[in-house]
Amino acid sequence: MSGAPLNWPDGNDRVPYWVYTDQGNYERELEKIFYGPVWNYAGLECEIPNAGDFKGTQIGEQSVIVVRDDEGNINALVNRCAHRGVKLCEQDKGSFHEIICPYHQWAYDLKGNLLGVPFHRGVKGNGGMPEDFSMKENGLDILRVHVRNGGIFVTMSDEAPPFEAYMGERILGYYDRELDGRALRLLGHSRQRIGANWKLMLENIKDSHHASLLHVFFVTFGLFRVDNESRIEMDDTGLHTALSSIRGKQELNDGTAQMRSFDSDLELSDPNLLDVIPEFEGDQTVVMQTIWPNVILQQQSNTLATRQIVPKGPNAFELHWTFFGYETDDEKMTERRLRQANLMGPAGLVSIDDGQILERTQKGILAHPGKSGVVELGGRDTEDADHMVTEVALRAFYKGYRKVMGL
Amino acid sequence: MISSELRDEIADFINAYALAIDDGELERWPEFFANDCLYKIIAKENFESGLPLGLLLCDSQGMLQDRKEAFSKLNVFGPRSWRHMLGAVQASKSDDQIRARTSFVIFETLAGEDTHILCAGEYRDILIRENDKLKFRERLCVYDTTMIPNSIVRPI
Ligand SMILES: [Fe+2]
Repeated sequence: MSGAPLNWPDGNDRVPYWVYTDQGNYERELEKIFYGPVWNYAGLECEIPNAGDFKGTQIGEQSVIVVRDDEGNINALVNRCAHRGVKLCEQDKGSFHEIICPYHQWAYDLKGNLLGVPFHRGVKGNGGMPEDFSMKENGLDILRVHVRNGGIFVTMSDEAPPFEAYMGERILGYYDRELDGRALRLLGHSRQRIGANWKLMLENIKDSHHASLLHVFFVTFGLFRVDNESRIEMDDTGLHTALSSIRGKQELNDGTAQMRSFDSDLELSDPNLLDVIPEFEGDQTVVMQTIWPNVILQQQSNTLATRQIVPKGPNAFELHWTFFGYETDDEKMTERRLRQANLMGPAGLVSIDDGQILERTQKGILAHPGKSGVVELGGRDTEDADHMVTEVALRAFYKGYRKVMGL
Repeated sequence: MISSELRDEIADFINAYALAIDDGELERWPEFFANDCLYKIIAKENFESGLPLGLLLCDSQGMLQDRKEAFSKLNVFGPRSWRHMLGAVQASKSDDQIRARTSFVIFETLAGEDTHILCAGEYRDILIRENDKLKFRERLCVYDTTMIPNSIVRPI
């Protein structure tokens, strides 16, 4: 769609469709956002518990190795040999104590330092590296890492503010509610590719009222519904959001009466699926956090997960789900989390609907870069709300986005 | 060793399951399972690392029924065709249990789009007899596919 004028309509209540489809804008997003002064989510410590354990991940479109070194520290290294650019590590996870490129066997330690180059001093007086070749300057690209209560974040920029300041006090409060310092137990991964712009995934979580209309399952069982007691809170930039809510009853009221998808008669054959037990302070049964730019940290009942967003061009993204519990969970609790995981993921009782609708959104807007979406529900402001009948988090998000992008 | 009659019976049963799904007869899906049952779709990466997370997990007839309801009435997705392609069944028997392994590939065709591969993997089944009929006591669908194209909107 390059060539179309990238104008932003006046006001906070319109979002132009080119922002989801334009290749040039997408490339600027990679530079200004993912490779810029942000903290990108890169995984959980419990994925790499032992010295030498690594996981492969992606930050923007770059492949990154996250590894625990022999001192127990977590390092993030760009997955590209300093010699000829070979992708060093092709596995998603594993364990190693040095990294050796298979092509010409340049070897690196787990901090990214270049350890050795074959034929460095030549063979029988022939060849070898120049006298002034610097081992020090030819290591791997190293990313700055911040670990908080088991969550691993990385930045490619020297300008990223300290992590705590980046999150802001309130969002950090919600973060610490779920990642509270207890050791996490990894339950597993699932991964899906969705043919839609990466921002639509963040919007899907910030757009609280869709759950009442699209997700029959949520609506019927009151897990997430506009008539539930709820809050939408943003940080100062508007880019992070925490949505919290208290589960409602399966009853007909002035909210549910307006939802065509509400079915007061629906009953689970096996109520074990929703055998939810309170485990956090406060009454909230669901907290969905979008942490700018690439992760959703979520609690829905007793299922806990992160969803990492990996952009794949303007028209697609991957969603890498990681489900977890706590090391202190007993067997019953782990079973409960695993059963409730049915709600989420690429075959989730509710998230199936989201994957499908995001792709349909992309199909709808693809050929219309000059048109705009409407985000006027709940007014035109960008302030926190104590209900869900609003698109305020989308307005605040694009206010922050425009600032970052200089739009 | 198992008799060729039993082998045929197992293969027919496994094939009938796939056809029932491809034919859209989700009503019949729970009938393929024993009263005491486990159905789990699990990524090979989890399976091989001993991680328990399923993409979909039903550990009772009731949960199968609830999933069936959700897939056929509650979830929102566009029209599509599915085609299960099954490999030859490898089966063995000990006491009253039959174990079977079968490769699968599922082709998905969305209205107006090219056919794509939804997922590829292997069924690891435990079968028993209930009222003289074969039933899945356990059906693990271990899939190789790294990235699921969007979502899995039916049982596999
Ligand atoms: Fe949703």
